[in-house]
Amino acid sequence: MENILQVSQLSKRFGKKQALSNVEFTVGKGRIVGLIGPNGAGKTTIMKAILGLFSYEDGQIKIDNQPVSETSHQALAKVGALIEYPAIYPYLSGLDHLKLNATGDDVTNRIDRLVKQMKMDSYITRKAKNYSLGMKQKLGIALALINQPELVILDEPMNGLDPQATKDLRDVIIEQAAAGTAFLISSHILSELEKLVSEVVIIDHGEVIKQATIANLNQDQADYIILKTSDDEQAQIILQQAGIAVMKAPGVVFNQTATVTLAVVLKTLIQANIDVFDVLHQGEDLEASLLSILHNETKEG
Amino acid sequence: MTTLLRQEMFKLRHQNITWITVGFNLIVMTLFAVLTKLKPTWFDANNEVAMGFSGTLFLVFFLIGVASTIVAAEFQYGTIKALLYRKYYRGQVFASKVVTLLVYSIINYIIIFGYTMVLKLILFGNVDLTAKIGKTTIIGQLGLNLLGSFVGLWLILALVLLIANLFKTSSAAITIGILSYFAASILQVVQSFAIQKWNWLKWNPLNMLNAGAQIKDSTLHSFTKLSLTAITTGSIVYTLIFLLIGYYIFKKRNV
Repeated sequence: MENILQVSQLSKRFGKKQALSNVEFTVGKGRIVGLIGPNGAGKTTIMKAILGLFSYEDGQIKIDNQPVSETSHQALAKVGALIEYPAIYPYLSGLDHLKLNATGDDVTNRIDRLVKQMKMDSYITRKAKNYSLGMKQKLGIALALINQPELVILDEPMNGLDPQATKDLRDVIIEQAAAGTAFLISSHILSELEKLVSEVVIIDHGEVIKQATIANLNQDQADYIILKTSDDEQAQIILQQAGIAVMKAPGVVFNQTATVTLAVVLKTLIQANIDVFDVLHQGEDLEASLLSILHNETKEG
Repeated sequence: MTTLLRQEMFKLRHQNITWITVGFNLIVMTLFAVLTKLKPTWFDANNEVAMGFSGTLFLVFFLIGVASTIVAAEFQYGTIKALLYRKYYRGQVFASKVVTLLVYSIINYIIIFGYTMVLKLILFGNVDLTAKIGKTTIIGQLGLNLLGSFVGLWLILALVLLIANLFKTSSAAITIGILSYFAASILQVVQSFAIQKWNWLKWNPLNMLNAGAQIKDSTLHSFTKLSLTAITTGSIVYTLIFLLIGYYIFKKRNV
């Protein structure tokens, strides 16, 4: 598969702090890739580096095989982005913003289409200073999309969006991706991101911990089961005595394996006269995978 | 680059200050023209035409405001990042702002010149533009006054752009811009005293602020100790130095 974005061996220091070290990942054409990790892991820093906003000591960033750095911006013609806050001039209307930023042919039709697609018709001619947070966010995303980029970089795009707007945005992204646009999206709302992305890049402490497709990520991960019992503390002790490892977490959490099955655990607990009120599976969502990967990383590190 | 210029002009066109500046100057000029017509003993018609009916009197303050916001507003609104993560270079972004400001200032001077002609035609048919005033004609003096004002204005605007880039706020840039505008006249006595004593001091930028005045009135040479060519060149050189420093700060700015 051809890559629209290729980041290799990227390192960046801010004074004494190593912000990024040897960051490597790729985004294939038309793919939607999630960039996830805890606060301060370096997600925004990576996005800013890709956008040529600062210099970096080592490594290379290529967009469509053209190098990008603070001093070579040509390839950014193919990129649309929303970083941190939408770029809004309070004295301009939403429509003015789109007119201001749109370049190339067929501008009027492209603006019309995008406004309809993002359901912004009702307020697009109003001055942006009267917009709600969600309206501004939508406008910022529309600005990232207006010039039909091949790669779109969105930093926390769901910030401030209500459920309907979140769904609208999701539809737009999926539609654009189907048409060949690649997306690199960071978000804290992992349940939302999960509905969109086909791949994730997990970042912690300025390093890439893993790049994997969602399917692979879940396969690799342990199948955690959480039990709610009549006496969690007692249940933990009994399971440990029976040689079943339980995690230090609220409730009773264990990793289901070939030998330690749910049935075995339930039997053990029931024999010890502990009632089981609820059984939750944790191994299948992005949040659990992320937490477990980060957790393992900390233990190994 | 044409896209960048189009975008800067678009933003300027959609701001109230842009139009208020033009409107305010026209009102000031109309007031001076009407007063000159009604009270010929207060104001001399020939002189008023040569001065463009004081159309440039407040222009510098408005343009200081426009210059500071053209840079500082991008930081204030948080739009600076989006401005920089495109295919353009920082130098081009900065240049597009300077050129936009330059074009806007020239348009203001053209409007002031044009409206002076309109007011002269309507109210002062008796004023002969080719009549002698000082060493030149009325129309010649009008040209010198506008040119002098323009050279002086740009030295201050370059400084304002520098300060706006340095502090990222328009208030600091506006304050320093206005102070430097008055500094030349306030410090004139002290300065000319100092220049008498240390001749090299005549090359300091404060003395260059007199360039505009000396273009309008060549007798100022006795204060500045610089020939008209020297002070004009000096003023332009300082303007370019301030712009270069401003550009350097803009280029190095972490966003």
